[in-house]
Amino acid sequence: MVKRPAVAPATATKPIATKQTLTILHLYAEELNIYGDRGNILTLVKRLEWRGIKSTVIQAGIGDKPDIAGADIIFGGGGQDHGQVAVGKDLQRHAKALHAAAAAGTPMLAICGTYQLFGRGFTTLEGSEIPGIALFKARTAASRLRLIGNVIIDTPLGRLVGFENHSGRTILEEGQEALGTVVQGCGNDGRSGKEGAVTENVYGTYLHGPILPKNPLLADHLLLTALRRKYGVESLAPLNDYLEEATAQVAMRRPQ
Amino acid sequence: MPLFITIAIAKLILRTSRLFGRGGGSALPGLVAERIDPNIGRKLAARLHDGCIIVTGTNGKTTTAKMIAGILSDAGEGIVSNRAGSNLSRGIVSALVEHASFSGHFSESVGLFEVDEAAMPAVCTMVRPRAIIVLNLFRDQLDRYGELDSTAQLIGKGIAATSAQVYLNADDPRVAGLASFASADRVTYFGVEGKLKTKLAHDVTADSSTCPVCGKRLVYTQTYFGHIGHYRCREGHFERPVPDYSAENVELQPEAVSFTLKSHEPKVQLGLPGLYNVYNALAAVTFTVHHQGITFAGITQSLERIKPAFGRAEKLEVEGRTLHLLLVKNPTGFNQIIQTFLLQEKQQNLLILINDNFADGRDVSWLWDVAFEDLQAQHPRIAVSGIRANDMALRLKYADIATELIEPEATRALNQFIAQLPAGAIGYIIPTYTALLESRRYLSRRTHLKGVWQ
Repeated sequence: MVKRPAVAPATATKPIATKQTLTILHLYAEELNIYGDRGNILTLVKRLEWRGIKSTVIQAGIGDKPDIAGADIIFGGGGQDHGQVAVGKDLQRHAKALHAAAAAGTPMLAICGTYQLFGRGFTTLEGSEIPGIALFKARTAASRLRLIGNVIIDTPLGRLVGFENHSGRTILEEGQEALGTVVQGCGNDGRSGKEGAVTENVYGTYLHGPILPKNPLLADHLLLTALRRKYGVESLAPLNDYLEEATAQVAMRRPQ
Repeated sequence: MPLFITIAIAKLILRTSRLFGRGGGSALPGLVAERIDPNIGRKLAARLHDGCIIVTGTNGKTTTAKMIAGILSDAGEGIVSNRAGSNLSRGIVSALVEHASFSGHFSESVGLFEVDEAAMPAVCTMVRPRAIIVLNLFRDQLDRYGELDSTAQLIGKGIAATSAQVYLNADDPRVAGLASFASADRVTYFGVEGKLKTKLAHDVTADSSTCPVCGKRLVYTQTYFGHIGHYRCREGHFERPVPDYSAENVELQPEAVSFTLKSHEPKVQLGLPGLYNVYNALAAVTFTVHHQGITFAGITQSLERIKPAFGRAEKLEVEGRTLHLLLVKNPTGFNQIIQTFLLQEKQQNLLILINDNFADGRDVSWLWDVAFEDLQAQHPRIAVSGIRANDMALRLKYADIATELIEPEATRALNQFIAQLPAGAIGYIIPTYTALLESRRYLSRRTHLKGVWQ
């Protein structure tokens, strides 16, 4: 387990320092990290820092014993199908703690591989089953054809843009809320028109790119949820998101 | 269909597409020739009487093939090789057809091909190589290839389909693991020795540092970059093989590198930067010493004359300014470039051009895995361009690095970038593949630049 302090800001105007600090738990940072996922962590850290809020990022890998109850935000990224087996097995150790944290309202973001394992399970091409932790009432099965391309979805938070690249098809059960509806791209299974899943403050999605830098409203939503729980904060200081929005606009104009 | 008709048709297409300047005619003739005669590649490759050599791996294929070609041609061999970037089977067939006479014979003796990892099974079956050189395996354009595990499997399949001598990078665990696809007497390893501080502080590109047997994380006693270094499995299942050929006393300078080969004099000296070029040269030396039996002294002389390959640290002069062209394709390659910047004076002038066309990789999320944070202390002056210029600027924003210019249109960005360079200054142009083609096309109008397509 590696503990890393957040980097000092180099912004022109120094924000007013608060006494607030958030702990961000990055699950399987080394095992599941192939689609620029550290950009999501970087986005959370920087958007706190630019508001004078400190953060500590804790990376937990296979065999580590992270303090899940003590985490203010929990993140897990996407990896190779191969790494999924070992991670799936290890994740079971944290199933109870993650369910408790979800019930307590801890914001979590699960991308691709972690999203699949936050469901009931993943069936590989060979037919073997990798059990998940069932935070989402969803099941994923591998398929031969990968779903790849730029993707746009509409969510209650607003429109999100990203890139998807997954062989798994995720089917949501009755009563499982999706993160959004597909405007362009494939989404959960390429058929249902649904993308991702939401339970309490736990968000699962196939969008990488990574998702948070280009979608600051989702990043800020996770941050505000965490700050509200911990400090009763009601709103975030606004940031200049001109570049973030311009980048999202370009991404939305790209073909699938 | 008789062989000469297939060759004649393909040659005609080659000439015509060259005439209209369409991509130098790299792929189409091969594609058509294979349509007419699916066995054309196999038939022609078999007629090269000194056989075929394949170079594969994520980064360094073009440069390594260029080094080997330099050494072999200095030793008097005639070489048929494919063009950089045309490294699928059709590109190789195009090269064979181009060099063959109408009767299907060659004045050249040897085929030297850089081969895309995913094309290895098909190409190996086609050309039956006598040697395969595998450089490294990194995450690269996952939207095209799927995942790294499957890429390794494809190279393994290619190796297993031949009886070639296999040259593997001992310092890359995933490459060293490919030894299981060949009998032990067919495998030769190369690697780097010594303590080097080349790993960037924010390098997150270690992609294959788990034991292939037990899946546990490998422990490293030395890491050079990414997952390249000296490693072993804690449980003792797997460890870095002892290299048959190793580079020692590695010295890295801003625009050059040198190293010694165990028990060989003199030093190998290269006019190319970066530890990655040490590996490229080491691969070329290992193969030519071991397999070709060329004298070491001759090899070092050939290597000293090697000029950078297409867009790989090419240098050109434009109106009193020096421009370096540095192609980027993936986080590891970009990190290697950043590493060479750290050896230099501060405040470099950079123009980074990021496109997301098919040949670039359509997914730009890899930019977030590049260690731009390591550049902060250099206080670089950065302009960004390309279709995804904004993505690049956003990445830099989160690395606390300001972008001075965002101009998506490449020629306008190049024009402004050059105009803002003080006379006598150096500018580094860092494009993805299709942005490199655009940049070269534009620069060829402003300066003497050979082979815009290459």
